[in-house]
Amino acid sequence: MSVASAPTGRVGPPPALPEDEPDPPPPSRLHRRQGRIGLVFASPWVIGFFVLYALPMAASLWFSFTDFNLTSAEPTSFVGLDNWRRLFGDPEVINSAWVTVKFGVLSLPFTILVPLGFAYLLTSKNLWGRSFFRTLFYLPSVIPFVAAVLVFNGMLNSQTGWANRALGAVGIPGPNWLNSEVWIYPTLTLIALWGVGNAMIIFIAGMNSVPEDLYDAAAVDGAGSLAMFRHVTIPLISPVLFYNIVVALIGLFQYFLVPFVLKNGSGDPNGSTFFYSMYFYRTLFRLQNMGYAATLAWMLFIAGVVVTGVLFWSAKYWVHYEFGERS
Amino acid sequence: MTTIDRRAHVAVALILVLIAAACGGGDTAEGGDTGSEAATSDDAADAAAGAAEEDTESDEANDEAMSEEIDDDEATEDATGGEDSSSGDRVEIRWFVGLGSGGQPEQIAAQEEVVAEFNDSQSEIEVVLEIVENDVAYDTLSTQIAGGNAPDIVGPVGRDGSNSYAGLYLDLEPFVEETGVDLTRFDEETVENFREEDGTLPGLPFASFPSFIYYNTELFDEAGLPYPPQEYGEDGTAIYGEGTEFEGTWDWDKVAELAAFLTVDANGVDATDDAFDRTQTVQWGFVHQWVSLMYAQGTAFGAGYPVADDGSADIPDQWVDEWQWYHDLVWDVGAAPSQEQFDSDLLSGNPFSSGNVAMANSHLWYTCCVRDEDGNGLEFFDIAVFPSHQGTVTAKMHGDTFRIFESTEHPDEAFEVLTYLLDDAALPLLNAYGAAPADPALTEAFYADLDETFPQGVNWQVARDSAQFSDVPSHEQATPAWDEYKLAMADFESAQLSDPDLDIAAAAGELEAELDGIFAAAE
Repeated sequence: MSVASAPTGRVGPPPALPEDEPDPPPPSRLHRRQGRIGLVFASPWVIGFFVLYALPMAASLWFSFTDFNLTSAEPTSFVGLDNWRRLFGDPEVINSAWVTVKFGVLSLPFTILVPLGFAYLLTSKNLWGRSFFRTLFYLPSVIPFVAAVLVFNGMLNSQTGWANRALGAVGIPGPNWLNSEVWIYPTLTLIALWGVGNAMIIFIAGMNSVPEDLYDAAAVDGAGSLAMFRHVTIPLISPVLFYNIVVALIGLFQYFLVPFVLKNGSGDPNGSTFFYSMYFYRTLFRLQNMGYAATLAWMLFIAGVVVTGVLFWSAKYWVHYEFGERS
Repeated sequence: MTTIDRRAHVAVALILVLIAAACGGGDTAEGGDTGSEAATSDDAADAAAGAAEEDTESDEANDEAMSEEIDDDEATEDATGGEDSSSGDRVEIRWFVGLGSGGQPEQIAAQEEVVAEFNDSQSEIEVVLEIVENDVAYDTLSTQIAGGNAPDIVGPVGRDGSNSYAGLYLDLEPFVEETGVDLTRFDEETVENFREEDGTLPGLPFASFPSFIYYNTELFDEAGLPYPPQEYGEDGTAIYGEGTEFEGTWDWDKVAELAAFLTVDANGVDATDDAFDRTQTVQWGFVHQWVSLMYAQGTAFGAGYPVADDGSADIPDQWVDEWQWYHDLVWDVGAAPSQEQFDSDLLSGNPFSSGNVAMANSHLWYTCCVRDEDGNGLEFFDIAVFPSHQGTVTAKMHGDTFRIFESTEHPDEAFEVLTYLLDDAALPLLNAYGAAPADPALTEAFYADLDETFPQGVNWQVARDSAQFSDVPSHEQATPAWDEYKLAMADFESAQLSDPDLDIAAAAGELEAELDGIFAAAE
């Protein structure tokens, strides 16, 4: 008797398999053939993973222990932990990491809460034309981000941009959005909100999956909209929230495109856009110091793994899965 | 089962095709910014990483070009094989193009033509042309060098572009002496401009781009100001506005004075007036047009070299003076654009060409870009001599040339090819590159072409005369760790154009300390 055929409804542990259970029959020729075909189909990804990810990662780990520099005529030599020692004493690493953290502290809450808020509004039953607004709010995500950043660059120019002209028209002196150390992070956050459509769609999907009867039960208990959101919606979309936070955090570690396009990698104003990834880019592509750049990349990877690990650890305290599973 | 077999076979075939496509590299590659699609072979990957070779083919390649490409590929494979880089009985010389000009279709054609002529003319040497898109040329060349597969000749390239590989070039002076190449046809300053601090001469003049002042005649007329002078005085110093109320020495103080008159806000108030609102500026008096990196900018006040004899950093005092002068002009007077203004719609990153700037310090190469959207020359400008600083004129010079890598196995043959490029092939190449000949005997045709583009009658004699005030040592003279040095200078420039409160003297001190560290680390 197999486990699958055990009677249901019994209390206690499932019966142990009889010791004389015969070995399962060998897979048929058809199964083997299908297995091979499956492997063949999977092989491009497997090969691609090894060639395009695993090997370069291994190579870059090796480079981090060398003085590999493309513009040097000297042969590459093994330097042990020199690059790692340099990294921990490099003020640019500390500065650029601090810039990244500062921006993250300001920006991350907005890049999570704003799409969450949009999603909440766009799942409201009382909203007329929900599909239209969903499309409207998602639309910016379709536009190439480089183009969007260039548009923002012109729009926020303190001299000729229409943002300040509009503010000026109502008697408000516009700030120096792009060249003030005070305003640059709000500006970058504003630009980041341009691309929240993806997170919003995921939140909407999560909210739509919340069983309706839970809201009905909460309503019967006298819960208002805010209480329902707080005690029903948030707990039940917490896996989605968790996912979006992880993605946003990884995005923060890799934050590059906007400051690079906006400031050409200069770090202006006064180093406030010199993010860690910018320092990595400069070391790698401008100075062609492959050895040290590989070290910077691995440090970024390690930091990302640690922070994500902490987030996963914290998940058991606040992420609720409908069927109790956690991973 | 038969159906499954067929499907499986098709699936396997499709996957093999996918893998081959993914791993095999592209057979064709689109042109980059230039839009060019060159008939070249790029062996960078072969050179260092053993990766797949990438070929690029021209859409318009004819049979002859195709056969030449095949020859190139074969030759390159020979060269990358680590064996003697000879093709049959002929010594193969690889010419790498991509660090500067050379990627446009008409330039590629001109280069291929001079190579073909050279190869047809004799039986000892075969030149192999390697053209790489500019945006990947540095990485490609670096990879080749790192892989021990450096080309023999590289160029055309300016000093700045070649400094990343400083120390890897062959000193040409012994070859000049041995072969008797005549350098007296060039201005002495033009030759010396290529000399390095260690006394070597790794480059010979090919194309020269002296600097001078571009000025907007319409804005001067509108302001009722005399035009800037077009003749250097006996000691170089010129006089501005002779016989007028504005008469004075044509120096940087005079430039600042005029710039204030010529800077106007949206209300029509100029920068000499207390009511001037710099946040509403619509017209500026002066700009360092695309020459604002600190070593370039500072040289306007005098040539210098930021490395002391003991290898430490030593920023020339006159450079710091100039940095302060320009910072004041941007932030105190408001007569030069800040970075924010530079990027605004009014200037669009090309200030002088916008018509909203009265004077610009730039080089002859800027004629490329004083044009409208259709490429037609703008007619609102003329050029003036370079202003002096404390009685000295330093009109810094840019020069493009070809260089030979020291690693070449055939230095004599490479030098022969180099002299061919600088001499017999110079005119067609210069024409293709749109570059001003360094050889004064060849300049007439070049300026005649410019006259066709700019029919207003620009006084090009100013450009010719400015060559005698070249900066020696060159502002682009190689320093230790050039790329890091340049980045440090770029960071300073960013601060200068973005921070109104920047203490230039203190920042220059910090820069010097930073450069000290960079130079020391490079040793």
